[in-house]
Order: sequence, then structure tokens, then C-alpha cells
Amino acid sequence: MTWLARPGAWPLTVKVPLLVAGLMAAVGAAISYTVFARLTDEQEAQLRQLAAAHLGTLAVAIEPHLARQDVWETFDVLDHARKAATVASTRLLVVTLPDASVVAASDPKAFPVGTPLPPDLRARLGSPDDLAIDASHDIAWSHRPIGTEAAPLGHILAEMDMRPLIAVRREVLATLIAVNAGVTLLLAAVGYALVRRLLRPIGILDDYVERVRTGAVEPIPARFIAEEGGEFGRLFRRFNTMALAVAEREALAVRLADEEKLALLGRLASGMAHEVNNPLGGMLTAVDTLKHHGGDAAVRQRSAALLERGLRSIGNVVRAALVAYKEPPGAAAMVPEDLDDLRFLIAHEAQRRHIGLVWQNRLESAMAVDGAAVRQMALNLLLNACRASPPAASVTMTADASEHGLRVTIRDEGSGIPPEMADLLRGKGSALLPQGGRGLGLWTVARLLDRVGGDVEVAVGATGGTAVTLSIPFLERRRSHAAA
Amino acid sequence: MPVRLKPGHDARRGDWSRRSVLGALCATGMMAIPGAVAAATATAPLRFGLTPVFLDSDTELLAALEGYLSGRLARPVVLVKRRTYQEITTLLVTGQLDAAWICGFPYVQFRTQLSLVAVPVYRGQPLYQSYVIVHDGDPASDLDGLRGQVHAFSDPDSNSGFLVTRYLLATRKETPASFFRRSFFTYGHRNVVRAVASGLAQSGSVDGYVWDVMAEMEPDLVARTRVLHRSERLGFPPVACQAARLGTPLVRDLREALVGMPEDATGREMLRLLRLDGFAVGEPSLFDGIAAMYDYVKMQS
Repeated sequence: MTWLARPGAWPLTVKVPLLVAGLMAAVGAAISYTVFARLTDEQEAQLRQLAAAHLGTLAVAIEPHLARQDVWETFDVLDHARKAATVASTRLLVVTLPDASVVAASDPKAFPVGTPLPPDLRARLGSPDDLAIDASHDIAWSHRPIGTEAAPLGHILAEMDMRPLIAVRREVLATLIAVNAGVTLLLAAVGYALVRRLLRPIGILDDYVERVRTGAVEPIPARFIAEEGGEFGRLFRRFNTMALAVAEREALAVRLADEEKLALLGRLASGMAHEVNNPLGGMLTAVDTLKHHGGDAAVRQRSAALLERGLRSIGNVVRAALVAYKEPPGAAAMVPEDLDDLRFLIAHEAQRRHIGLVWQNRLESAMAVDGAAVRQMALNLLLNACRASPPAASVTMTADASEHGLRVTIRDEGSGIPPEMADLLRGKGSALLPQGGRGLGLWTVARLLDRVGGDVEVAVGATGGTAVTLSIPFLERRRSHAAA
Repeated sequence: MPVRLKPGHDARRGDWSRRSVLGALCATGMMAIPGAVAAATATAPLRFGLTPVFLDSDTELLAALEGYLSGRLARPVVLVKRRTYQEITTLLVTGQLDAAWICGFPYVQFRTQLSLVAVPVYRGQPLYQSYVIVHDGDPASDLDGLRGQVHAFSDPDSNSGFLVTRYLLATRKETPASFFRRSFFTYGHRNVVRAVASGLAQSGSVDGYVWDVMAEMEPDLVARTRVLHRSERLGFPPVACQAARLGTPLVRDLREALVGMPEDATGREMLRLLRLDGFAVGEPSLFDGIAAMYDYVKMQS
């Protein structure tokens, strides 16, 4: 799940809804902040107006009582006003004389008659602002002078409970958050569904491209194309055109490979004919000798031995050909002699070019590898090595078993494999088919190597000479790897 | 501060002479009244003054009283309420009211000009007490514990709501101004209870009958107060009229209606609402105790 740590690698079906959700959250936060700030301002303005109206009415009612300093009537007005006050949630009302001594308060125990107003409240009487909000205690204070400026009678102060207003703010904020979160989630879900729908053709295309990669070139079915108009329909049709071209190229490659095989077979047949023809002259001579001097036991013995060697030589060549071309591909075992037989198949080519073969077959028992594929690869590489080597040079074949499989190394003393040919070999068949037939053998080796799940190492020496090492894993190991 | 009417003050009123004359005629047995005048007198409303000597804020009670009296007297009844005792006393003394339920203190002050129509009977006697009450949590154990406090009086012309406490202070050579840090009038016994219960005043002077009735009707409010001092029993606030009208048929009918309340279903309901046993024809000597306190206070001041 390392892609989780790299947002750039997230699929579009995740990125687009997240982007929508992020944008909506940002927009929602901005709107919520604006609404909340506006609500707070409106509430304070409304509170200021209500408090002014409330205290204005009370001031008119109290003024005659305050003029007489009538404690009871002043208290009676305040007490009734507080009990009836739903306006601005008035919690406390205090009426004072101009010297800030309490005439009456709706809570007489907190503000006893005749006592001076606490300094913090007295300071509010001189404040030009008629509304002071104490956010830390969720209260607001409003005051209003009673009487005229020339003949002041006193003040009325009101303490208002801000909690109902704050509760409204919280409710509004909670509603805003809930609505915004709901809309954001909804849009993210819709975005996910839409993007998923939009990207469905990409998924189809990805599936068919993956099939091409694994070697199964198939066109996108017509029903998918019919569902998609516009860009994706056009893309599907182009893909199908491309897939057709790839399929044709693949068929061509198979045909070329078959032709290469036939050509190889032709060369082998020629070699075999030479190998068969070589002992034939001696054998015919031996037959003549037997006809004329068959009575002589020594001559008969020598001629018979010659005939036997010739026939054995022919037999070896025939058996090698039979093993190489009659055994079905995918055989689950290879014996050491299967490799040794290759010597007979390239003997003619080697002799023709005066190449010395150094044969180091260190295999001791049967191995669970695809013998036909290994022989075809080794034969191709040996023939290439013979062709690449100068006269009187040596071509070395080394085969040994390792813990994981079979290792076959073909080494020549030529001028070194060209880099593009080495790349062709390393491409395991994924490289493009070589043009003009050059490198077809190596391309075939690469494809076979891919089939058996093997690896190749190509080493070119400083003074020339090329060593190609094939590593072919055991079949069981391949299967267990594939299963893993 | 308006000047309080002195006993014998002569207020002028439009129909005062006519009523006096009619009353005098009736009293002297001169029955040859022209028919039109007699009809007018018979349908003239009874103007009945009320003071906060009882729970005059109870509208159900006031409606029942008006209904009962108008039924018994066969004439309309106008209940006249004013904020202070002084206003009602003034209206009564000047003949602008036919009768009024006043306090014993104004009756004593104007004893020469007023006559008793009837006196309520409370718990078997035409007597009641004055209470000095404090807030329920107040630690004071006697009157001296109230020194330096804020005190609520009911009315300067109230016996229980002012005179009794004034007298108690006078016996200590004190006045409300010297004894209390501050005092004020609430012009209603119920208001005194509210003032003390709310903490506006730490103590108050209140009619014991009103406090007792309120303890039944508004137990939550009264429970926040405690009686610190009960006075001796004194004459219950009486229903009084001008002395000159005592013998008039209207006053006589009123007295009969009041005294006869227990015999009438509506009257019994009235008495139940008032928590009274009935009304009796009281003697002026019932108020000698109040008069003695008044004299003592006057002498001290």
C-alpha cells in the first residue's frame, strides 16, 4: 500500500472526490464564518436595540419613583419587569442614584438598598457605550441615565444573560457544519460515482492493454465501443486498429520463426547429409574389400569394424536429429545426453569453419527443465558462435547444474556480439521483431527463454569473445514462483 | 409630603349637606319625604372604601364582596380603593364615602368624627396582632437584633404596619430613623412580606392577620419570612362611617349585612375567603390599646 503515501499515485476516482470535498469544505468554512460573524453582529445589534427599548420603558416607569426615592415602588417595577422579561433575557436590574448608591435592585441581596454600587459596575455608568459584553461570563451590561442632563435622577443598569444568544449561535454553527458536511459528503459521493463512470472506458482500455502485454492481443468488443461515443469511442477504435496490427505482426513473427526453424533444419539436414556421406565412402570401400577379400579374416574384421564405426556415426546423427525434432516441446525432463547430442548437429558447421569444440557437459543426471527448449536455444547459440568465430578458434559449451536450475554457457572467440543483438537477447521476446531477418535466431532464443522463465547474461571480453550464459530454473520452482 | 388631615378637618363636598339632611330627617322620624327623592336615595350606590388591611389585591374577593353587599342592600355598590390609608380616611371623614374598612389607627386618630359600623371577628375575637417579621435566614432573635437594618413598613397610618413598631422603638427611646439604617413604606401588608422575602428589607412590620392568611394562600412566599415579634392583641381594623351617618338606613343596612354574613350562603363564602368568623357590632373601647400606643408615641416625639 505504498501508493497511499504518494498522493500523486492515487487513482482519479479518489483524487477528484477528495478535491471536490476539499473545495466544498473550504467554501463551507468561508460561508459558515461569514454567516456566524454576521449572526453575532446582528445579535449584538438586536440586543442593543432591545436593551435600549427595555431600559427606556423602565426608565419612564421608574422616574417618578426615583424622584421620590421610593424604594418599594422602584423595586416593584424592577421585580415585575424582571419576572416578565423574556426580552434579552434580563437577569438583573439595578437602579442607582447619581452617586451610584443602590435605590433598589431586582436582586436586593446582591445589591442591598443604600449600598454603593461595586466599582466595576460603577465604571460602566460612565461608559459612553450603552452595551458592554463580558464574553468570559456570557453576560452583557446595558445602562441608561434617568432624568435630564441638567437634573440627573440616577441610572438603571441591566445585566443580560447572553447564554440563550450563544446557544442560538451554537445551534446555527452546528447546523452549518452539519449541512456543509452533508453537502460535501454528498458531492464527494456524486463525484466518485461520476468519475468512476467517466473512467470506466479507461478501465476497459487498461484491461485490454494488459492482455496485449501478456501476449493475448484481443480487440475491444463492439458492445463497449457502442456504449462510448466521443473521445473514448475513437480511442477504442484506434486501439482495435493497433491490436489488429500487433496481431498481424505476431503472426508474421511466428511464421518467420517457423521459417527460421526450417532454415535451421535445412542447414542441419545438409550437415547431416555430410556426416552421413563422410563414412559412406569408407563404408562402401569396406564393402568392396569384403567382396574381394572377405575370405581373409583380418580384412573382414577390419572392414566390419569400419562399417560399424560408420554406421554408429550415422546412427548418432540420426538419433540426435530424432531427439531434437521429435520430442514435443514442454517435456518435463532433460538428460545430460540431450545436450551432448548437439555436438553431432553442429559438427559439420564446426568442421566446415575449422572450429574446435570444447565440450564441458558437467550434468550427471536428468533435470526437470524443458529439454526441447534448452536444446533449441543452445543449438541456436552454438551455431551463432561457430559463425562468429574465426577459423581455428574454439567454441566452448559449459553446462552445469546449480541449486536453482541449469546453467549453460556458450563462449566464442569472435569479435564480440553487437550491443543491439545483446539487447535483443536480453529483451526476452518483448523486443520488436528484427527487421530484415538479421538476429532472428537470437530473438527466438529470447522468446524461448521467456517461455521457460530463464535469465540471460551476455558478457563481451575486452579483447573480443562473447560469453552467453542461460540460467533455466527447474520447472517446479517456476511453478511455485508463479503460484507465489 | 402631603399634610395629613387632622381630626375634625372639614372637607367640603357637593352632596354632603343633602345626605346629612336626609340622614337627620330619618333619625328624627320625619318621614314625609317626597317620593322622587326617596327613590333616588334608594337606588344611589353605596360607596365603600377599602384599604390594604386585608388582601385587597384579590380580585375574586373584591367581586364577591361587591356582589354580596349589592345583593343585601339592593343597590349598587362601588368599591373605592386608594393607594394609602390616608386617602381613604380623608374620603371617609369628608363624607365622600358612605363607609370604609379602615385600620384601627386612623379610627383612633379620627375617633370623634367616625363611628364603628362593624368589627371583624377573627379566631373568635374582634382582635388581631401586629407582627415584626424577618427573612427566614436572619439570625435576629428579638427586636434589638434589627438595629442598623433596612426595615419595611406598610403605611404610616397603619397600626400593625407602622404604629406598633414605632411604639416599640419609642419604648426604647428610639425612632425608625435612629434605629434602622433605612426604612421605607410599601403601602400594603402583602408588599411588606414580599420586601422581606426578596431581601429588599431585612425586616418588616405587618398585619398578623394578613400574614396568617398569606401563609395559607402563598406558602412559598411566606415561608421565606419568619415572625420575630408578635404584639399584644389589639382591635381588628373596623368598618367605620362618619359619625353623623351612623343611624342612617344605609349604614344600618350595611351593618346588618355585615353582621348577618354567617346566615347567608354568599356571606359565608365571603367569610371563608376572608378567613374571618364574622362581623360584630364593636365597642370603641376595643381600640383603647391602639389609642394608648398613639398617645405614648406622640408624647415621646
